[in-house]
Amino acid sequence: MKSLFYNMGYFIRELFKTIRLSALSNFFSFIGTSLILLLFGLILISWWIGDNLVSSLKDEAQISAYFSPGMEQEQMHKLVDEIASMDGVTTARYIDTEMAYEENKRLLGDEADILELFDDNPFESYIDIRINLDDMDSVISRVTSLQGIDYVRDNRDVLAQLKSLVNAIKLIGSVVALAVGITTIIIISHMIRQGIYNNREQINTLWLLGAPSWFIGFPFVLAGILLTLLGGFAAVGLIVLMLEKGYAQLSGYLMFLPFPSVSELKQNISYIIIVISAGLGLFGSLFGLSSIKKD
Amino acid sequence: MDKSIIKASDLSLVYKDGTKAVNKLNIEINPGDLVYITGPSGSGKTSFLKLLMGIEFPTGGSLNVLGVDIKKGRKGRIQKMRRQIGPIFQEFKLIEGRTALENVCMGMRFFGIRPSKIKKQAMEALIRVGLESKIHTKVENLSWGQAQRVAIARAVVRKPKLLLADEPTGNLDHENAVSMLQLLGSFCDSNTAVVITTHATHLIENQKNAIYVHVDKGEFSIKTGKAGIAAIS
Repeated sequence: MKSLFYNMGYFIRELFKTIRLSALSNFFSFIGTSLILLLFGLILISWWIGDNLVSSLKDEAQISAYFSPGMEQEQMHKLVDEIASMDGVTTARYIDTEMAYEENKRLLGDEADILELFDDNPFESYIDIRINLDDMDSVISRVTSLQGIDYVRDNRDVLAQLKSLVNAIKLIGSVVALAVGITTIIIISHMIRQGIYNNREQINTLWLLGAPSWFIGFPFVLAGILLTLLGGFAAVGLIVLMLEKGYAQLSGYLMFLPFPSVSELKQNISYIIIVISAGLGLFGSLFGLSSIKKD
Repeated sequence: MDKSIIKASDLSLVYKDGTKAVNKLNIEINPGDLVYITGPSGSGKTSFLKLLMGIEFPTGGSLNVLGVDIKKGRKGRIQKMRRQIGPIFQEFKLIEGRTALENVCMGMRFFGIRPSKIKKQAMEALIRVGLESKIHTKVENLSWGQAQRVAIARAVVRKPKLLLADEPTGNLDHENAVSMLQLLGSFCDSNTAVVITTHATHLIENQKNAIYVHVDKGEFSIKTGKAGIAAIS
């Protein structure tokens, strides 16, 4: 421990010497690591946004139940209460024909003029049911079987597609995460091996003088961590830039989309990329060192 | 408790091609011993030093250096043992691009000593070998003799229990070779044993307390004192 503390200056000088000795090759390692971590960061962001979207839509999952013709107002309200008490139902609200008309007018926006073509209100009253997405199938089946319910309209297909899209992103994300890990470890361990080869005479001398393995290997481990950290910082810089540009482009739509806030996204992705790059640097360096010893 | 620095019993080293580098050597070297190993090139002198450093491993018999059984070849213990040895390699093994001072410091960096203390001791060692004016000179800019003195300073600064010098007189003229042997001999004290290999028998002074070992084709003959020098001359 004392040797580690006393030699910090020496280790740092050795670390820069190791990087300088194969500067071009290390520069390419840095570029490669940066791009790999950038790719990883982008996949992570897609995953994050998608997950956020699904979670938000899960909370917003909604079905509409329409009454059988000729039902009395009282019966309709009884049905609303019955549905509201069902497991998996968050809220159930009676929407009368006037409210349905206003809601559709709002949804049609500029095209709402079309409604003026109708002499009478074309919309029926219905029950707006907010549900837990995971209970969607059972709620629909129970609501449909209720006496007085003519039919149920749901957005199950859209949600199912969205869910499968997020699952696909998660799968791709996992594969990319694995690929990023393996590739970074290979790049860094190769860099370490090259550094060891370039310094073989010095290492051999230190070895013969009785230097412990950790003393010989420490500057190389530092070099590996520094290089991947630099790659991580470069990737974070690019990701932050892309996020800012992307969010600026989407600024008009963002208020309608359940996206996480850009500052939260930037902060989280920065922490994750930096921690992962340091970890991969450490692991890659140790792997490079251990593979040399076996030779 | 066994205080011997080196203890070899029927020690043998046979290379894979069948060359016998060391054949059934029995020797015990204690603190304060000055050992000259002589013999022609390729006789087995360097192989013996490699065994002492744990670079080669015995193929027969046993070898104990500074309490470590070399035959077992445990890496950690061998590294610990090497820290108690001051090696002066035939080709010096100095680190290019570094100054004489940095090279000497390098041998002590992993001893857990403060850098300021290492630097002070390294400077003292360089002064002792007569290199006070070359302390900050890069080793590639030193003459052969000066580089050799840096290697000596690096070895002795560690206050080793065993100082090993492989062919230190190799490229030196007679006068410098004699003074080199005298310099190396001066590091022999009650804590340190010095082992020097050389093929130049005529350079070795007749010393009463020295051990003279002659080796040829792996066969070692050991004599001490005045009779010893007579036997190997």
